[in-house]
Parts: sequence; C-alpha cells; structure tokens
Amino acid sequence: MLTVESIRKRFAGAEDAPAALDGVSFHVAPGDFFTLLGPSGCGKTTTLQCIAGLEAPDSGRITMGGDVVFCSERRIAVPANRRNLGMVFQSYAIWPHMTVHENVAFPLVHGMRKAASGEVGPRVRRALERVKLDALADRPAPLLSGGQQQRVALARALVHEPRLLLLDEPLSNLDAKLRDQMRVELRQLVKSLGITTVFVTHDQTEAMAMSDRVALMRQGRVVQLGSPRDLFLKPASAFAADFMGRTNMIRGRLVQAGPPAAIATPLGLIGSDGAPGLPAGAEVFAVVRPQAVTVLPDDAPADGLANVFRGRVIAQVFLGDVVEADLAVGEGSLRVLLSPYREAPVGAALTVEIPPAHCVVVPAEER
Amino acid sequence: MTRAGTLSRRLTQQNVALALLLLLVGVLVLGPLLVLVRTSFAPAGTAPLETTVVTLDNYRAMLASPDTLVLLRNTLVYAVGSVTIAVALATAVAWLTERTDMPGQVLVRILMFSWMAVPPLVLGFGWILLINPGQGLLNVWARAWFGATDAPFTLYSMWTLIVITALAAVPTAFVMVSGLLRNIDPQLEQAGKVLGGSAWSVVRRITLPLLTPGILSVVIYMFMAVVQTFDLPLIIGLTARIPVLSTRVYLLSSPDRGIPNYGLSSTFGIFLLLLASLLMWGYLHATRVGERFRVVTGKGFRPRRLVLGPWRWPALGGVMLYFLVMLMPLLMLFWASLFPVYRTPSLDLLAGASFASYAKAIGSSMVQRAALNTVLLVVLSGTIVMALAALVGWFSVRGGRRIGRIVDILSFAPTAIPPVVMVVAILLLYLRTPLYGTIAILVIGHVSIYLAFGARTMVAAIMQIHKELGDAALTSGASWLTSMRRITLPLVWPHMLNGWLWVVAHSARDLTIPLTLMTASNMVIASALWMMWDFPDLPGAAALSMLLVLGSLLLVVPLQIVAGRATAAPG
Repeated sequence: MLTVESIRKRFAGAEDAPAALDGVSFHVAPGDFFTLLGPSGCGKTTTLQCIAGLEAPDSGRITMGGDVVFCSERRIAVPANRRNLGMVFQSYAIWPHMTVHENVAFPLVHGMRKAASGEVGPRVRRALERVKLDALADRPAPLLSGGQQQRVALARALVHEPRLLLLDEPLSNLDAKLRDQMRVELRQLVKSLGITTVFVTHDQTEAMAMSDRVALMRQGRVVQLGSPRDLFLKPASAFAADFMGRTNMIRGRLVQAGPPAAIATPLGLIGSDGAPGLPAGAEVFAVVRPQAVTVLPDDAPADGLANVFRGRVIAQVFLGDVVEADLAVGEGSLRVLLSPYREAPVGAALTVEIPPAHCVVVPAEER
Repeated sequence: MTRAGTLSRRLTQQNVALALLLLLVGVLVLGPLLVLVRTSFAPAGTAPLETTVVTLDNYRAMLASPDTLVLLRNTLVYAVGSVTIAVALATAVAWLTERTDMPGQVLVRILMFSWMAVPPLVLGFGWILLINPGQGLLNVWARAWFGATDAPFTLYSMWTLIVITALAAVPTAFVMVSGLLRNIDPQLEQAGKVLGGSAWSVVRRITLPLLTPGILSVVIYMFMAVVQTFDLPLIIGLTARIPVLSTRVYLLSSPDRGIPNYGLSSTFGIFLLLLASLLMWGYLHATRVGERFRVVTGKGFRPRRLVLGPWRWPALGGVMLYFLVMLMPLLMLFWASLFPVYRTPSLDLLAGASFASYAKAIGSSMVQRAALNTVLLVVLSGTIVMALAALVGWFSVRGGRRIGRIVDILSFAPTAIPPVVMVVAILLLYLRTPLYGTIAILVIGHVSIYLAFGARTMVAAIMQIHKELGDAALTSGASWLTSMRRITLPLVWPHMLNGWLWVVAHSARDLTIPLTLMTASNMVIASALWMMWDFPDLPGAAALSMLLVLGSLLLVVPLQIVAGRATAAPG
C-alpha cells in the first residue's frame, strides 16, 4: 500500500549536521498498523511529513497504492492535498474558529474529493458517531477537552475515507489513564475500518501495544524492522535492546562464536543460543531482560551448572505488581523481577538462571 | 497522476503566489531605488532615464558645497535635540503609567495611542497660530499681561522646531518604552528589594540598567524617524531658514520656481538613505543586544508598583499638563476655524462664531474631490498593504529558511528608506507613465512605505499560529489557497484589522507623498490642507484640519478604548 524507498533529507541551514533522513526504506502492507518508533530527533516525524507531502525529501521515492507521489529522479512531487490522506497531528490542529461539525466537514466541503451537499451532513454524523462525539457536533471547538479534541481530529482525518491514515504522536498530549483507553480504541477503530495506518511515537509501550509492525529509527535511519515481539525479544543492536524496554546490558567478550555462543562477563561465563555474524573475541553485550531471568528455589544446586548464578540482593524497589531487585553477582550486577509475595530483603541470597534461549548477543560498539 | 505531479511541482498556487509577491515587492522596493541611484549619476539638466552618461558631477557638487555641512549639522542638532526630549518625556510618563500607582493609567494610555492619529502637520499649523511673532496668541498675551515689548516666544528658531517635534514624537516613544517596561520580570526588582535595596535604589540600580539596551533601540528608532521627518521642518524650518536633509531633497525635486534638479536631489537622497541605513544597522544591532538582555517571562504577570503616596496627584497633574500643551494647538485651530478672518481669541468674540468655514470647506468641490481621493487612497493603501503583508508573513514564517529571509529583507528594507527619498524615487520612475498624476501613484507610494510595518505585524501574528493548523487543511485535501482563506487568515484577522487601521490612519495624515506627487487631479485632504494654508485661507485650512483630526480619531479611538481595557484587565 505504501512503499518508501531510500528517502534522504537534509534541512537547509543545517548542512554541517548529520542528515535528518539518511536513506529510509520500508513497505507497509494494506490494512497494516505500521509504527515509526524512535527517540526525539531520529527522523520519524520528518519521515511522516514526507509521506504526507508537507516536506519534500532531497532524494528517494514514495509510492502509494500504485501511484508514485514522490520521485526525485522523475521530478514528481504530488502536493499534500492531492495525496488523499487523513492525518492526526500532535497538537490535534482543531481549528478554533469553527464548530466540531465544521471541523469534520472541512475535507468534504473544501477537499479534493468534495461530497455532494446532501451527503455532507450524514457523513459527518457517521464520522462523529464512530468516535462517540455525535452529541457535541454544534459545540465551538475551543470548548472541547483534550480527549474530545483528539476524537474530533480522528473523525476529521477519516471522514473523507482516505487511502492512508497518518498519526503523529496523537496520544502524547493526553493524561496517562486516557492514553491507555485511547490506545485500545484507536487500534480497534482503524482495524474495523481496515485502513492502512502509519503511526509515529517515541513511546515503545504504545508502539508494542498498537502495531502490527514497527520500524525502529535512529539518526535518520531505520535500525530494525519487525513485529513488536521480534523487536522486544530479538533486538539486533544495543540501541534496540535498550530502547525497547528495561533490560540488563551485560558487557563482555565473545569467547565462543557458536552457536551456541559463550560470553565472558563480570558475572561469569554466560551461554547463549546464538551470536549471529560475530567473531570470537568481539566486544559484546549480553542482553537479558529481567523478565527472562528465572529465580530458582533456594535449595537448588548452583555450583558448576551453566547459566546458573548465585547473587545477593543489594537494592530493591517495590512497585506493587512486581518487585525490581538488583543482585550482586560475581563482579557485576543483574536486575531481576520478583513476585511481590516473595520476601527478599536486601542481603538475601538468591539463585537465578539465565535461559540461553533468552539471552541475546549484540555488538558493543554502539548504544 | 504522474503528469499532474510533475506539473504541480512547479506551478502550485503557493509558488505562483510567491513569485507574484516577490515580483510586486521587488518592483515596489527595488525599482525606485535603482532609478534613484541611476539618476544620482546622471548629468545635470537631463531628464531622468533619458541619458546614458554616467558622471560624478552631482556627488562632486554635493561634497563641494559648503551647504552640505550646514545641512548635516542642522539635521543632527534637530534629531539629537528632539529625540532626547521626546524619549526623556516619554520614559517618565511611561514609568509613571506602568510602574507606579498614579491614577488614570488607562486614560493616559488611551490618550497617547489616540494622539498618534493626529497629523503632525495639523499640530504644526496650530503652533504657528500660537507663537508666531506678530499675532501668535501666547505672544499677544505675554505682551498684554506682562508688558513684554517683543515676542517672548520665537516660532522660527531651531529650538522651537526641536520642542514641537519632540512633543509630537512623545506618543510613539511612549508606546515603545511602556512595552519595554511592561516586559521586565518584576521578580528581578523584587529580588533587589528583598535583599535590602530601597525603592529608589532598585529603580536606579536594577530597573534602569535592565532597560538600557531597550531604551537605546528606542532612541535609534526615533532618531531615524526624526531624520526622515519632513512635514514639520517644511512648515516651520523653512521659514526659519533651517534647512535639513529631508527638506533639501524635497525642494530640489519640487522647487517653488525654476526647474527640478533631480540629479542633485537623488544624490542628497542617497546621502540621507545611507545615514538612515546606518541608523537602521545600529537599531538592529541594539535590538539584538536587547534580546540577550531579554527578561520577558511572557505570561500575564502584574509588576509590583511603586507607591507614590501624596505625590500621586501631582504626578498625574504633570502628565495632564503634557496633554494640555498638546491640546493647545488644536484648540487654536478650532478657534481659527470659527471666524472668517483670524481674530485674537477672547470671550467677547464668541457671539460672532460660526461654522460657516466648515460649510464652505465641505461645499468646496476641491475638498469634496480631495475627500473622495483620500478615502480611495487610505482604503486601497491599507487593504493592499495588509494583503501583501499577510503573504509576506506567511512566506517569512512558513516558506523555509532561504525564501523566508529574502521576503523578510525585501519587506523590511523600506524602513531604512526615508519617505521623502522614496517619493522622489517614485516620481523619477513613474514621471513619464500614465500613472503619474493619478491616485494610483499615491497608493504605490504609501504601500511601499507602510509595507514594512504591516509585514512586521503579520509575521508576529502568523508566528503565533501553530503550523499544524494550516497543515491539517492541506492533508484534508484543501488547496494552499483554501487553507490560507479558510484557516490562516480567519485566525489572524484581528491583527490584520489592527494593521489596516494603522496604515489607514498614517496614510490619511501623511503629507510627504501627496505633496511631492501632487497634480490637480490627485489632491487628497492632506495636500488640500497644505494648499489652503499656503494660499492663504486660514479658516478653511483650520476647518479642514479639524475635520481630518475628527475623522482619524473616530477611526482610532474606539479601537484604543477596547484595546486599553483589554490590556488593563488581567490582574
């Protein structure tokens, strides 16, 4: 449905700075919920603006459902208003001098694909019903709460049945509880309409909860592309491992390239199922999510067993649903999650196991 | 789709609008300047643009003439004197209004803003009636009451010119200084107080140093304005034989007798232009320093006010005295408008007062034509300026770095071009075209001169509009023009209206453009006023002055009252 091919962009006046977009490519299948994820300044919003036609890349190609909307070689740049899109902005961009109805009717009245005048009313009403705001149609836009504005923005982006829906951090201005609720609603809504969606966020939880596929971006490049599960469980780089959620990054040296691989770390020797493409002797991180670590019964044997370590609790934080505990293991430390029902005061000894299948090895040069 | 795409890259509404804007503003600003430069290198006695000879004669003549030094000295003395007095007075009044508990603050603010609508030309006429050596009211009274033998007030001297200009310039300086005072974070002053400083040492050691860069930029701006002033030096300075640069440029291009010397006029114009550009550069530099000192917190805070105690009323009295002095020339004109022949004011004469001069003025076909022309001029100027300014604002804020800068510089450049120079340049450029002698050429002049102000208003306004509001219209499928028309412009509408009123008020009171480009067919109220005064038809000129002031105030005062309430409201 949407194909982005090696788009590059440098902003005028920032010629010395690294490129804002440095060859971004990806493909979004019809009906997919696709997310551009990354820290601020990684180029995710610029990418979205290039797709929308609000920015023009310096080079590259963007295709939408068979139509080339941007191609630097053939000097094609279809302007934003002819791309047949719907977009929700971070600020919602609800026009304050109009009512809710006028806001939502705008694409049908002033857009490229105008609706017959008799159709506008019913279509706006349907769009507002979809976001449960039909009761507020005549309210002036400035009198809406943040959550209501967000729904109006969504109704406005969908009312003209665009081929592609673009969402630029639409949830970041909502309070935490509303955000959790809108996350579910938003995904259900676009999935029920079957519309292809590109979503931009810096929040990895949001990305994982909502997306079919995620492109993780950094410094103008896509560093990893896959399902949320892939990104979380099989990060390809230290950056990806760190960005996708809390993790242990245990620095060490690859002593056996494998598979199975073995890494010499301050904790001791850690075995892993694989270290793809890395030579023995490389500086690496062993990536172990706290959730992956199994806490063994106190009387379990530890000595001499591969990937089983004894440690002592040096700090713990009681979070309610879970307890985060830092263990001193060997010369290093390891963060694990404990059940809130388990008593493990500072100083207590624990035996833990790192399953080799859940230990991912990534190169150490970047983070 | 593909073909439409290729085409649209070059021929979008946006690019067409940008090209038109650059073309228009370029022609308006650069056209006259190029002609001015060319004419300054043309030999004497040739018509502008009809020679290919390049000569430095005019520059030699200017530099060799002993007059040039006198002109420069006069101009500097005039500007330094009036700016010093104006800024000192304005700062005092602004401080009393913004930073003390003096009563009547809203009234002072409204009066100051409204006073900007009174044409300096009219004030000048009023002052001439007040203190001319023979019949000037103040001199007559001084003789009658104090037995003075000659005239104690001398109208035709450098000092009088300076004081009258300073008084007329106070409102503008007040508006700028009170803006500065309002933006100082009161916490900085409170810190001084908490740490043990007395109220006066806080003013002296904290408030004033913080204000210095801002005041400096006000001083340079006012200096530039005075160097460019034309009307007061014309009606007072010429009789007093005090020529300054601006009047010299005018007289060389529109002499009372003989033929115009456009070459020398252009050369002096370029000299004045360089002086103004230098000041402009100083102004930009000073405002940049001011940015570094910037202590604006933005949100509506209420500065702690100095308690004047029993001095509150004398303070208000002092400020009101200024307004009284400002009112005197207007009252004088009003008196003069009531009698067919000027009589020294006295209560006995009141019985013979009549509004016959008004009826005569309104009935005169010249005034009627001038009134119609004025309405055409101000409405067209205001509308064209604000339409261009809206585009300038949009491209300057949203057009990207390079385009934004070009548009910015082009629209800001006229600030450094003195109107009297600009108008000579416009005269040279359009003299042989059918536009000369029409209202259109006056509109061109006012649009070129006031575009800078309009552009600054609209740049500030569009900067406040979130970019995504316009983008949302584009992604909804609306064209660029629709997005401008339906979203951006409705949102900046109040700023546009404000700018429009400003341009209209200034266009109505300006004499520089209408006088230099005057023909029988494009007379406006300001130039008609000048003609009647010069004729002389004193009652007619006085009546017309009052009508002009009344018209301007009717336009400006209601808006100022609303705006004054709005700024006074947040507690």
